[in-house]
Amino acid sequence: MRVGLLILKRLGAALLTLWLVSLLVFILSSMLPGDAASEMLGQSATPEAVAALRLKLGLDQPLYVRYFQWLFGLMSGHPGQSMISGLPVAEIIGTRLPKSLFLAGLTALVSVPVALTIGIVSAIYRNSFIDRALNVMTLSMVAVPEFLVATLSVLVFAVSLRWLPALTIIPDVADPASIARAYALPVMTLCFVVVAQMARMTRAAVADQLDQPYVEMAVLKGLTKPRVILRHVLPNATGPIVNAVALSLSYLLGGVVIVETVFNYPGVASLIVDAVTSRDMPLLLACTMVFCTAYMVLVLIADVAAILANPRLARS
Amino acid sequence: MRKSYSLDAEALPQDGLAVAERAWKSLSISGRVGLVLVIFWLFIAVFGAFLSPYSPSAFVADDVFLPMSAAHWLGSDYLGRDTLSRVLSGTRYTVGLAFFGALLASATGTFLALYAAVSQGVLDEVISRLMDTLISIPSKIFALVLVAVFGASLPLLLLTAAIIYLPGSYRIARALAVNLNSMDYVEVARVRGERKLYIVFHEILPNMLNPMMADFGLRFVFVVLLLSGMSFLGLGVQPPAADLGSLVRENMSGLQDIAPAILAPAIAIATLTIGVNLLIDALPQSGNGKGGH
Amino acid sequence: MAQDLAHRRDVLTGLTATAAGLWVPQTVQAQPKPKRGGRIRVACMSSSMADTLDPAKGALSTDYVRHYMFYSGLTQYDKGLTYKLALAQSIETKDRITWVVTLRKGVTFHDGAKLKPADVVYSINRHKNPDTSSKVKPIAEQFAQVSQTGPSEVTIRLTTANADLPMILAASHFVIIKAGTTDFKTAIGTGPYRCTQFKPGVRTVGTRFDNYWKSGLPYLDEIELIGIPDEVSRVNALLSGDVQLISPINPRSTRRVRGSNKHTVVETKSSLYTDLIVRQDAFGGEDFTLGMKHLLNRQLISKALFRGFATIGNDQPIAPNNPYYLEGLPQRTFDPDKARFHFKRAGIGRTRVPLFASPAAEGSVEMAMIMQEAGANLGLNLEVKRVPADGYWSHHWMKHPLTFGNINPRPTADLVFSLFFKSDAPWNESGWKNAKFDQLLTLARAEADEAKRKSLYGDMQTIVHEKGGVGIPVFISLVDAYDKRLMGYEPVPIGGLMGYGFAEYVWWGA
Repeated sequence: MRVGLLILKRLGAALLTLWLVSLLVFILSSMLPGDAASEMLGQSATPEAVAALRLKLGLDQPLYVRYFQWLFGLMSGHPGQSMISGLPVAEIIGTRLPKSLFLAGLTALVSVPVALTIGIVSAIYRNSFIDRALNVMTLSMVAVPEFLVATLSVLVFAVSLRWLPALTIIPDVADPASIARAYALPVMTLCFVVVAQMARMTRAAVADQLDQPYVEMAVLKGLTKPRVILRHVLPNATGPIVNAVALSLSYLLGGVVIVETVFNYPGVASLIVDAVTSRDMPLLLACTMVFCTAYMVLVLIADVAAILANPRLARS
Repeated sequence: MRKSYSLDAEALPQDGLAVAERAWKSLSISGRVGLVLVIFWLFIAVFGAFLSPYSPSAFVADDVFLPMSAAHWLGSDYLGRDTLSRVLSGTRYTVGLAFFGALLASATGTFLALYAAVSQGVLDEVISRLMDTLISIPSKIFALVLVAVFGASLPLLLLTAAIIYLPGSYRIARALAVNLNSMDYVEVARVRGERKLYIVFHEILPNMLNPMMADFGLRFVFVVLLLSGMSFLGLGVQPPAADLGSLVRENMSGLQDIAPAILAPAIAIATLTIGVNLLIDALPQSGNGKGGH
Repeated sequence: MAQDLAHRRDVLTGLTATAAGLWVPQTVQAQPKPKRGGRIRVACMSSSMADTLDPAKGALSTDYVRHYMFYSGLTQYDKGLTYKLALAQSIETKDRITWVVTLRKGVTFHDGAKLKPADVVYSINRHKNPDTSSKVKPIAEQFAQVSQTGPSEVTIRLTTANADLPMILAASHFVIIKAGTTDFKTAIGTGPYRCTQFKPGVRTVGTRFDNYWKSGLPYLDEIELIGIPDEVSRVNALLSGDVQLISPINPRSTRRVRGSNKHTVVETKSSLYTDLIVRQDAFGGEDFTLGMKHLLNRQLISKALFRGFATIGNDQPIAPNNPYYLEGLPQRTFDPDKARFHFKRAGIGRTRVPLFASPAAEGSVEMAMIMQEAGANLGLNLEVKRVPADGYWSHHWMKHPLTFGNINPRPTADLVFSLFFKSDAPWNESGWKNAKFDQLLTLARAEADEAKRKSLYGDMQTIVHEKGGVGIPVFISLVDAYDKRLMGYEPVPIGGLMGYGFAEYVWWGA
């Protein structure tokens, strides 16, 4: 009941947020120096050529007109055409998004179990050698710039050892072995980036719960420690943990421009950088809408999970 | 019954050295390592520029990517500048931007989260929607746009970092606050008739500090990494100055030679971020054992 | 006679002529016999949603390569800044105003259609149409009329005499497309490869076109073209064997590539330059300009920035490999004393002078840092402003007192002078004005006598060197790297990747 209501409420909130994002992105990107016409012509632009192209792309119209045209187009199911390539935005994103989702999914499949395990183990053995070792390890992983990890891994595994390819090129015939080889390096790099935060938040949240008197009480009552952790500590710690996981996953969709660049992977993150640098407004807006939606779906899942896990929240 | 901070108000009139000694003794080994690292990098951040053997922008070496030598302790960079001098004077940008950026983000995020969690209703909705709006735009893209629109001055980079990491802090803080808000002892306090402000500062905030400090540590790391990520996209501190991330980035072609020009700033980033987090982890944990109302 | 013209120019430049219409592989003597087959992957610097199959919109090296893969022009660039005939069997002119082009017979497009004069007329005329958004519109303005004058003949009438027309037509923008083409989702051309896949920002795949008009060519079965913007990653991809040819590489990476016994680098000396632009209407004009020119440490820029893969420049845009290069112009050097003298005369003092640089102009950020450091030593307060590559050309280039430009190699001296130095040129970078220069330019363009032409261009180089508003520290060599099994690769000075035209010449020797 409660969850149903929450989802309904969230749907409304999501629409509102989407609208706010589109407005913010539209205003910000209209403040960028240059527009699609001047960027397309680049160094070879002349005032007449830019003016002609502007007219052709409809950039001569006032900002608000363009915004509402885009908004009405979107609401009637037409997110428009890319100004730069002339292709429908839906088609471009349609070919890129599945690739991003696949990379993010693979990374989540590896990183979430690893992070949760590290976090829970660290919390249970708080301040022990294991805890400190895991802590320094996860910190070191995140303390190295992403592009350095990516490039270093290519240097070692692709250039020197020649075990893995340097570029993530999706094989035509997709058997599990070739997919694993192609994705090994980007997934590893991304795990370096996201494991630390999830592990640390898990540790903090579980540790906080372990300090609660009810844990002591439960142990005194004779419950075994694993049972206490599974039945009482984890449900209570779910809120912050799933939130950290949701944030990390949303990063995996939109924030992986460096990995996409280094491994030449055609995902949506590099697409949006393209859209910004070429001032391709319809493409930029559509991309941000996609990210925004993905993010809110993840957060919704996180919140629902938190409520389901913690009966107290459901009651209030 | 709450453990007090070693640096509590009551300790102030005492001899400073004694306080420091007590603080040092209260730290675990890893905490001490963290403290030493943090103090070291703070020192470099403040005085590094005065310790540089050369001007960080001068072309002083005969060749690029020189190894360590007596004349150039950390060799030369990709243009033949002195790496040691560049790291010494670049640290302040990284430390300053990351510290103040993360602090601004964490403090604002926590404050807004508490406000939202306690007031609930419309205000909670409004703040949450605004935060969602900010967070659902990927951080590097947001940085790309902000820098392109407003330029890459230091205050702007700071503000960019803060805006980008504010919603993350907010979300985590809000999740914690909502969770705590539904705790029995908070409800007890509410039934007791305590004012909102009292509940926030006496019941909820102390119990959030521990995870929020951990979060601040990570935000610090994130800003450092955001800066280096931005350098990948060609943004960041204006040359000839360079933050540590940019130093790594600009010397990438020395990677295979394992040139000190790329190792030194990379190690600097690593020890700095690890130090900050070790120290925060080891700080006396406030609020623990509380809730025995 | 165009053939005569081609021969004459080749003789002048000391190069052997290639007989028109009869293609002779120029590398047979040095390399093993070319063979058919094989598939390579090539990585260029950039690939984005702006990737295009429309030759008129080509903006970057990846585009040029793509266009030469799928289309052919009336003429083609050759080694040594010369041209050879391609789809044109002959190009004839008497007055260098009216040019008669006879088309090669039996040329077919990828869809089987025959090449017709109408295709040529359409392909050239469309550049003048504002709707095409052509990159070469300013150049195309000189085509007064292009029309079919016979079953396989096209006549091009120019507005003013231009002896360089065959060179101009070799540019990738002027390749021939089918008449009426407006949709560029795929490419129907007469080039050596058929377009079998084109995904902007992802990849382009070309498959050998069996009816290519040069019999026996091309050799490779398939070429996949991708973009890896990050240079270190590009080199890694080559060294790991994922790609077989990359362009460009940073001179700093040459040691890495040569360290691998499977790969090698090739340097193309070119007339590419990144120049310091001093707007003539700011900071006291002439003295300030001369001061800035003397502040350019050309040796340091060549050594530190380009590791010697550069030719020292002399503040004029004609590189030593150009047939019209003027020998003996005194070399301007890094001279802090002279710079100080001129800055003092300009009365610049401690005024803060912003210097705009951007990754958009190759090496400009580093050059700016080198200048800033040199300036600081003599009390000049230069402030480096690095701005993002996007928006640079529209909002910063030529728009502040001190900015950097980046000028790609142009096939002719006339083009670089008329596009970037003529008083009323849209891209007169420094905004300088010199009536004598403008006169010489018009004279040289129409001049048929090569010796006279060379002396006119010499005078213009002297004027630009002495009075121009730009500082050209070095000409940047283009450095490509490739797998040694790739054969038949040699520099063509118009650009990297054999002047972007490697696709039809190389073969896989494994």
